[in-house]
Amino acid sequence: MKKNLNHPAPEKNPRIWRSLRERENDPEFLKHLQTEFPRGADVYEESGLSKREFMKLMGASIALAGVGLAGCRRPESYLVPFTKGVEFAIPGKFLYYATSMPARYGAVPLIATTSDGRPTKLEGNPLHPFSNGGTDSFAQAEILNLYDPHRSKQITDKGQPSDSAALDAFVQSLQNNAGDGLAILAEPKNSPTRDRLRAALQAKFPKLLWAEYDPLAATATNEANEASFGPNIRLVPNFKLADVVVAIGSDFLNPIETGIGFAQGFAARRNPEQNGTPMNRLYAVENHFTVTGGMADHRLRCRASELGEFTRQLALTVADKTKDANLAAVAQAFPESKSSLDSQWIKECANDLASKSGRSIVIAGPLTPAPLQALVNGINSALGNIGTTLAVVKTDALDAASIEDLAAAINKGAVKTLFVLGGNPAQNAPANLDFAALLSKVSDTVHLGLFEDETAKACRWHVPAAHFLETWGDVRTFDGSYTSVQPMILPLWNGLSELELLNKLAGAPAPEGPALVRATFNQVAKGGSDEAWNTFLRDGFLPSSAFAPVKVAFNASSAAALAKQAPTANPNALELVFLQSSSVDDGRYANNSWLVETPDFVTKVTWDNAVLVSPATAKKLGIKANNFNVLGDIAEKMGNEVNYDLVADIVEISDGKKTIEAAAIVAPGHADDSLSIALGYGRKGVSALMDNVGFDAYPLRSTGSMLFLGGVSLKVTDRDYPLAQTQEHRSMEGRDLVREGTLDRYDKDKAFAQTMGMDSHIPPNISLYTHPELTSKEQWGMTVDLNTCTGCNACVVACQAENNVPVVGKDQVRKNRDMAWIRLDRYFAGDAEDPEMLSQAIMCQHCENAPCETVCPVNATVHSEDGLNLMAYNRCIGTRYCANNCPWKVRRFNYFDYNQRPIDELYWGPLAKKGMADSLKMAKNPNVTVRMRGVMEKCTFCIQRIEEAKISRLVEAGPTPASETPISSFKVACQQACPNDSLVFGDIANPKSRVSQMRKDPRGYVMFKYLNATPRVTYLARIKNPNPKMPGADQVGMANGSGHHGDAHAADHGSHGAAHDNHNAQPPHGDAHAPAAH
Amino acid sequence: MANFFPKWTNWLPLKLVICAGALVTAIAGGLTYYFTPKYTRVGYEPNQPVPFSHVIHVQQLGMDCRYCHSFVEVASHSNVPTTQTCMACHTQIKADSPKLAAVRESWKTGQPVNWVRIHQVPDYTYFNHAVHVNRGVSCYSCHGAVNEMKVVYQHEPQSMSWCLDCHRAPENHLRPPSEIFNMAWKPPADTTQREIGLKFKEEWEVNPPVTCGGCHR
Repeated sequence: MKKNLNHPAPEKNPRIWRSLRERENDPEFLKHLQTEFPRGADVYEESGLSKREFMKLMGASIALAGVGLAGCRRPESYLVPFTKGVEFAIPGKFLYYATSMPARYGAVPLIATTSDGRPTKLEGNPLHPFSNGGTDSFAQAEILNLYDPHRSKQITDKGQPSDSAALDAFVQSLQNNAGDGLAILAEPKNSPTRDRLRAALQAKFPKLLWAEYDPLAATATNEANEASFGPNIRLVPNFKLADVVVAIGSDFLNPIETGIGFAQGFAARRNPEQNGTPMNRLYAVENHFTVTGGMADHRLRCRASELGEFTRQLALTVADKTKDANLAAVAQAFPESKSSLDSQWIKECANDLASKSGRSIVIAGPLTPAPLQALVNGINSALGNIGTTLAVVKTDALDAASIEDLAAAINKGAVKTLFVLGGNPAQNAPANLDFAALLSKVSDTVHLGLFEDETAKACRWHVPAAHFLETWGDVRTFDGSYTSVQPMILPLWNGLSELELLNKLAGAPAPEGPALVRATFNQVAKGGSDEAWNTFLRDGFLPSSAFAPVKVAFNASSAAALAKQAPTANPNALELVFLQSSSVDDGRYANNSWLVETPDFVTKVTWDNAVLVSPATAKKLGIKANNFNVLGDIAEKMGNEVNYDLVADIVEISDGKKTIEAAAIVAPGHADDSLSIALGYGRKGVSALMDNVGFDAYPLRSTGSMLFLGGVSLKVTDRDYPLAQTQEHRSMEGRDLVREGTLDRYDKDKAFAQTMGMDSHIPPNISLYTHPELTSKEQWGMTVDLNTCTGCNACVVACQAENNVPVVGKDQVRKNRDMAWIRLDRYFAGDAEDPEMLSQAIMCQHCENAPCETVCPVNATVHSEDGLNLMAYNRCIGTRYCANNCPWKVRRFNYFDYNQRPIDELYWGPLAKKGMADSLKMAKNPNVTVRMRGVMEKCTFCIQRIEEAKISRLVEAGPTPASETPISSFKVACQQACPNDSLVFGDIANPKSRVSQMRKDPRGYVMFKYLNATPRVTYLARIKNPNPKMPGADQVGMANGSGHHGDAHAADHGSHGAAHDNHNAQPPHGDAHAPAAH
Repeated sequence: MANFFPKWTNWLPLKLVICAGALVTAIAGGLTYYFTPKYTRVGYEPNQPVPFSHVIHVQQLGMDCRYCHSFVEVASHSNVPTTQTCMACHTQIKADSPKLAAVRESWKTGQPVNWVRIHQVPDYTYFNHAVHVNRGVSCYSCHGAVNEMKVVYQHEPQSMSWCLDCHRAPENHLRPPSEIFNMAWKPPADTTQREIGLKFKEEWEVNPPVTCGGCHR
């Protein structure tokens, strides 16, 4: 009997969706889905190049090629050894060093891979006590920052090239007074050596003004903690101990906001199967979707201006439950605002918290106003979390003036010489200070920075800074662990480190690099032998050097005094919220193409930022954006000539005095009457990539509105802006790609995810193709735990760094030609206004019955005996059949020579400049082929690491049986970077390996099981732990697709015919249909 | 009506076919012979900046390969020696030889000697020396009798099919571990290379990869 295995028909109103267009079954969108690379096919029409002309051109180029036959001679190449052997260096072998990336919250402990003396990859340091070996996306991208050919290379004085002798002379001229008129503006850092040098400097120049500024610094947190507990108090959360977490405007699961030390404990408690402890529960209150909000069991959309009111109501309820007078006093001092918050939500949330006293955490975002954070401290104190789930430590931070103090001093004329050490205040200081103008009021300004940015232009001197991989330094991580920063390479362009410049300024008879840090180390380690120092450098940290816990009491009166200052929210006014960008941070990574091309976690927009607005507010304001069927109109308006994937309305946002322009996109799950925009984009007049990318929001951000600006007005213009969004490229066609259930459902039927949708219907399947035998002892496979994957992008950038994945540019992303080997698919589920969000990492699934292999006409993609789907680049002739036949759409085609040609000259053909900047060549992984035009590529499961491990095993085995030597453990790049341990790779043939254990998890399922591709990647369904008493609890954990339900259902059953017998044999059928999707 | 074509044209089509056939055969034959590494690579013997003789160093002085190519057993790349390695002896021996001028110059200035590369696999091929020499494959199998070369030249084609010949039948090249760096080793008289190779192949579980991923990443 002929078996007709239909794909499920797309549904009318899918339960789970990726874009609003998909949700509404937009006809243009459906048309768009029919093509493999939707914009690829029509290039010829677009460029007006007919086939005949093409043949003519080709003929000419072949003839020309003949003229140059001299090129047939064998090119001579050289083997160039060192003149003197270098200690430890073995040509062709990696060396690993511990170092760390300083960050505003502390540091990311790292292991740097160096190849022949150049760092090529950064990975997390698993030994470090405040790290589990993960990293964030920024740390992964630092390699590109180091080798960025656009870094500044020249000391300049008034814009003219100068040299270090002139700079030294200038610094020398400052030595003679007591620091009168001398000021330093630095970024907040936790570097003990910098603090030591600063103390020395202040001893020498008593009148020195030391100010610190970072646009995203947690100054409000410090202020709140000081009011609540005393000076220099820091709360270090331990999510491992928390049963209930409430995040208020906080994205703590996102390592770029708080570092990797936070998420690790949370993920450990997220598993539904734990010994002795219950699965944790997360409540999130936020105005826009963050990755934390996506992970939350209950999420409340709340305008940023109403977060204070939310906290107040929560505090009152908690105070009521716990009978805590201190908290009640602070909450009552907090001014009340009118709002329409769901009181039931707050009440049940507070109940849940109160029932988990001492086992909960309430955490507020670092940018939320200080009064709010003081109130949160009160809640935690009332719940008995202080000292239990929140460790209290006393930091050794020195007091610093704020940028406002500095601005006031400049305005008074009290500053004659200003050193700006890092940062870019001319761009990102609060707009009310007009810092660029202030800089011109100071007679001598010195800027130390990686790039010739806005501040460099506004300063007299610009000094190229050394990258942290080029300098000696030290740093304390968030918990206070003393951590090393080691140079991996000499400064590429003679950059100077902050420490060296400070040391110069202090006029010390320059001890260089290591000596500066060693002196501090000896203090911190109280003694410090050479052995201890070497161990410190080898491990990357000093053991047990974290800040000691202290006992504190909540100071209700000073907290209440702070709480009183909270501004009240105007319930009707439109607010603009400023976000940390997932790609450029505060603007510092604006020149980093890896990050700029990595899609935002939630919007999946690359290369730009955009104003996010909720669907209802968009309708109200008249923003007819992307998702509302604009593609049809545009195509019509432009005579079908423009392939705009996504255009967004340009809106003008004004606070009455200043106006900014930005593209607006509709963001499901955003709070109503609220706008959000990421900072750091839209720079003008600075070199390279940074220019004209996105929209600058800093002009509206001022001292009082660091998190949000209330009372803005928005005007929709009649102009459009093209955006490159990766998410719109593909659709799930109603199949159960992501699976989710509640803890309740899981407890009833642990394997519920395996019988969902189509999977409850599949007849026994066999493959008609013969496949290579999987004879190898090791069989590689992977699991992805959707329960802990937040979608933070660390794996995406790690893969790019490891596998030499090129950047293609905005124009190419719009044509769906992005090259990412691992992508994070973001799904929304449920109502468009207030959906759930899920993230799913998709890489090559290395199917045992790989559909791509059967269609390759030249055997360029074949299977290995250890279960890898291989790609032989030099065999590939670029038919792209394989990509067409891949159900996961993970294959990427090199339409152009992205590595060799500038991305703005891709269409120039041979006229484009060819070649890569020398420094960028140094960033490449030498163990991975740099692919060229015309070949297909995809995730290889990091075959270079697999082969390295296998070869090491054989080298070790030598003339003995290979099977008796175990393969050494290694991690693939994405797995290594994952801060939550969501990705597990390993040998599935070894029953003891972690990946084998994970594959046995009853939550495990494979995608497209009915296709019988037998993928090697298993996904573990996401389990949500809703509080049944919460409003809307029945809608939680229901993101199951529903390809199987509704209208499509009858047709499905009909086509399966005989399959039904089998179907009935599956575990509780009713359960597989349970979701309240209907 | 007159004949349009003279009589000699009757055989023309056949002649044309034969000529075309001969031409195609010649081109195909020529390409197969002249355009493969067997012809284009084998025997490549460029002039080196220093007239280094393996005959003197290995054959006459009995130096081990690993004195200079020191990382061959641990790294994928078999290094050429640093100037320091040369100078270890040549500060004493032939310290003034004009042939060593380039080495002394390098030692003085710190600028490395640019040796001309002879054996070169393409960039997309990842060959690993360590695994071969540790698992019974001698230098000799890929580089020929370097000990007898006054000037080093390429002895083997090192094409993909040549690699695969051995990966499919490693018994033809496996040796006792003690003889890896012995360029003059011959199988003992009472046995053959094949017999000895098969024995080692089984004992050590030698199973070289023949899938693309073994060498191409």
